[in-house]
Amino acid sequence: MQKDLERKFLLDFEANQNIVHKICRIYTTNKDAHNDLFQEITIQVWKNYLKFRGDSKFSTWMYRVALNTAISLYRKSTRIVKTQDINTVAYKIEATQYDDTEEIQLKALYAAIHRLNDIEKALIFLYLEDKPYKEISETLGITNVNARVKMNRAKEKLKNILNP
Amino acid sequence: MDLLDNYKKAWKNQPEEASKRSTIEIYKLAHSRSASIVKWIFIIGILEFVILNTLSFFMDTDKSNEELNALGLERFIFYFSFIYYVVLAYFLILFYLNYKRISVIDNTRVLMKKILVTRKTVKRYVIFNILMTALIVIIVTITTVQNEFDIVGSENIILIVLILLVLLVLTLGIMWLFYQLLYGFLLKKLNTNYKELAKLDTNS
Repeated sequence: MQKDLERKFLLDFEANQNIVHKICRIYTTNKDAHNDLFQEITIQVWKNYLKFRGDSKFSTWMYRVALNTAISLYRKSTRIVKTQDINTVAYKIEATQYDDTEEIQLKALYAAIHRLNDIEKALIFLYLEDKPYKEISETLGITNVNARVKMNRAKEKLKNILNP
Repeated sequence: MDLLDNYKKAWKNQPEEASKRSTIEIYKLAHSRSASIVKWIFIIGILEFVILNTLSFFMDTDKSNEELNALGLERFIFYFSFIYYVVLAYFLILFYLNYKRISVIDNTRVLMKKILVTRKTVKRYVIFNILMTALIVIIVTITTVQNEFDIVGSENIILIVLILLVLLVLTLGIMWLFYQLLYGFLLKKLNTNYKELAKLDTNS
């Protein structure tokens, strides 16, 4: 039983790990911290996997656990943002696969997101991932109206950083 | 939203993580030890209960008991200890229940609130301890002053009371500073995030 559950978890997590990597890239600014947060999220997802019931998609459930870990459980400070560290965020991005402008845009986007606070990061991340407001408000535990208000503010702030 | 739409497109087209973890790596990570803030709060909370309760073992209790008996305070100390341990048990149970209630599956706001409540339980326990210590010091001082007023003389009494007061304030000050540093370090981020998230919702 335990073995089956574990195998299912490993396959589910492996298939959806890109979500976790994106969250790590948003909330950390160097490779060590990225791996550290990734590890903590893996632990939390596995520890709570028994409580995951199939009534929602695994990925939806994982968004919540991963974001909660990044916002509330992860201890390391992310206040120090070094420019070269932002560049190392792109170490994983293979430039050959897509055209220059998108690569530059993506770099700028990550750099801008790093300047948002933890809550704004979560809002923008969920927006970029095309999550509906219902899911956003349920994940963060705020009302639908407030999710919209906060989202608009976060978007405005992001736009100002991207295009001052 | 034209500007962000372009960036969103770039976001969507971003390549998958280059160094993906294999199932074996994920297995190893999942079974490693958590270093989450909740775990730290639990460990530090337990340490606080333990340290505050073992402090008395380092004191010469026999001698101080004799002195308290001489002051005629044995009955008071007996009831006081009884109440103290009942309250201690209450705090320990509350702390454990709060800790168990923390779940990363909750929504972000509820999760943060539960973490902060758990930490507050310990804070209240510490305040309770400080008040009890202060109460004992004050009662013992008053009783001593009443009993030995004629022997020691009024000038010395004032000096003793003053020294005791200074020591009391100093101890409390150091404890307070220690707490500010410890929990400030641990919970600064969480407090900021909670306020940020709760900011608008309190009005609605």
